[in-house]
Amino acid sequence: MRRSCVVAGVLQALLLFGLPAPGGAQGSALSGYMEIHYNNVGPQDPVLDFHRFVLVMSHGFTPRIRFVGELEVAHAIVEGLEEKGEVELEQAYLDFLLSRSFNLRAGMMLIPVGIINERHEPPVFNGVERPFVDTVIIPTTWFEAGVGAHGEIGSGLRYRVLATAPLDAAEFSAAEGIREGQQHGSEANVRNFAASGRVEYLGIAHLTVGASFWTGDSSFSLRGVDSVVKVGEADARYHRGPLELRGQFAHVSITDADRLNAALQRQIGISPNVASAMRGFYGEAAYRIWNAGAPRDLVAFARYENFDTQYRMPDGYVPLKLYDRDAWIVGTTYYPEPDIAVKVDYVRLANQSGITKTSHGLNVGLGWWF
Amino acid sequence: MKNSWRLLLGCVAVLLTMLHGSAVQERRVVRISAERFSFTPSRIELAVGEQVDLVVTSDDTAHGMRIEGTDVDLTIPKRGPGEIRATVSFDKAGRYEFACSRMCGAGHNYMRGEIIVRESADPR
Repeated sequence: MRRSCVVAGVLQALLLFGLPAPGGAQGSALSGYMEIHYNNVGPQDPVLDFHRFVLVMSHGFTPRIRFVGELEVAHAIVEGLEEKGEVELEQAYLDFLLSRSFNLRAGMMLIPVGIINERHEPPVFNGVERPFVDTVIIPTTWFEAGVGAHGEIGSGLRYRVLATAPLDAAEFSAAEGIREGQQHGSEANVRNFAASGRVEYLGIAHLTVGASFWTGDSSFSLRGVDSVVKVGEADARYHRGPLELRGQFAHVSITDADRLNAALQRQIGISPNVASAMRGFYGEAAYRIWNAGAPRDLVAFARYENFDTQYRMPDGYVPLKLYDRDAWIVGTTYYPEPDIAVKVDYVRLANQSGITKTSHGLNVGLGWWF
Repeated sequence: MKNSWRLLLGCVAVLLTMLHGSAVQERRVVRISAERFSFTPSRIELAVGEQVDLVVTSDDTAHGMRIEGTDVDLTIPKRGPGEIRATVSFDKAGRYEFACSRMCGAGHNYMRGEIIVRESADPR
């Protein structure tokens, strides 16, 4: 209650005293991105999937009060009660741009954890699908409603901090980790707020290094359980000439996971085997073979990923090797135009179980930004 | 007599060329690279009255660069051989922010920088 009053007070003060003088950059704009995929990986039949159709709306009330909204249709069609597509309001916020070093944001926002969550337009990353670590360990696209601040200090030190609705631990699982725990700002329970943040340093030529965190009490829907989730992440990107390197490490810890499993077992009949710790990392090297600009613009890349959603189990639970996975992805990204990416990659996805087979196959994708 | 006039005109031409050369040398060129979602460098320092040529390129999509308190609002062409140039100077010391003025993705509003204009004739 007190925190809400502080935020409301700050916003009211801005309106009362006014923001710095405007100077252009007003009006509305429509942009967006789309990606269609052919996936032929594993024992399933190949699929052709219009994976994402995303419209980005922006409007400048003044140059320093801006709206950004992102509406996504995933998997092309949404049908009632069927596990098919989704319509998601991934972003819908107002930015109050006070100064380069301090700005306020409120609404539906991207959680600033990891490389991909805030940089997910198809021409920005290699590979038809987003990295596994950014899907299974960090639940990209991770978005929630809340308030926050962001800015840049000096020559390249950036920060953002958010207070948002927490994850719901009742939706955690062995295979997908914390992914399904997102409340997505839909009548989200905010008995507790979650805190997240990121610092990024861009002051060294060609290099970006970042670290981020998320923490929140996520057991609000389960009586007698006190599960606090903490996500820690570190990443680096190096880009010089035709060479680009990137790496990321992410770790998730969940306290009181034994009582969380017991409480969920009482509800659904079986234990979801939620881990007390999950971990993932990846490294990627990419080289621009054709570096003359479109239409002679071709990147080759290779990425290794290692991720385990049962890295540590609570006492009395045995980790299943099925969830200790690693993957090699090698492929190319061709840019006939800087905002259009034609992607082809080969994926080899393995696990440590020795029972389930390694899956491998081909992905082809076409993505664009406008 | 004719030769004297020729010599005088030649000297004037050489002098003008030298003066022009020194004026060109005084104008500093600052190269800025834009990419989702940053300008590099994001902080530029110059002196009051100093004329600076900004040369801006993009490493990915098209961006904008609007400098607050000026009429400068550049459209930076997409990755490729293209670049945009602008000559700027400031007659008052202070801090002038610049930002991407063309929606470029989820981190668009993070894409900002500043120009520090100092009284000193020797900007750091």
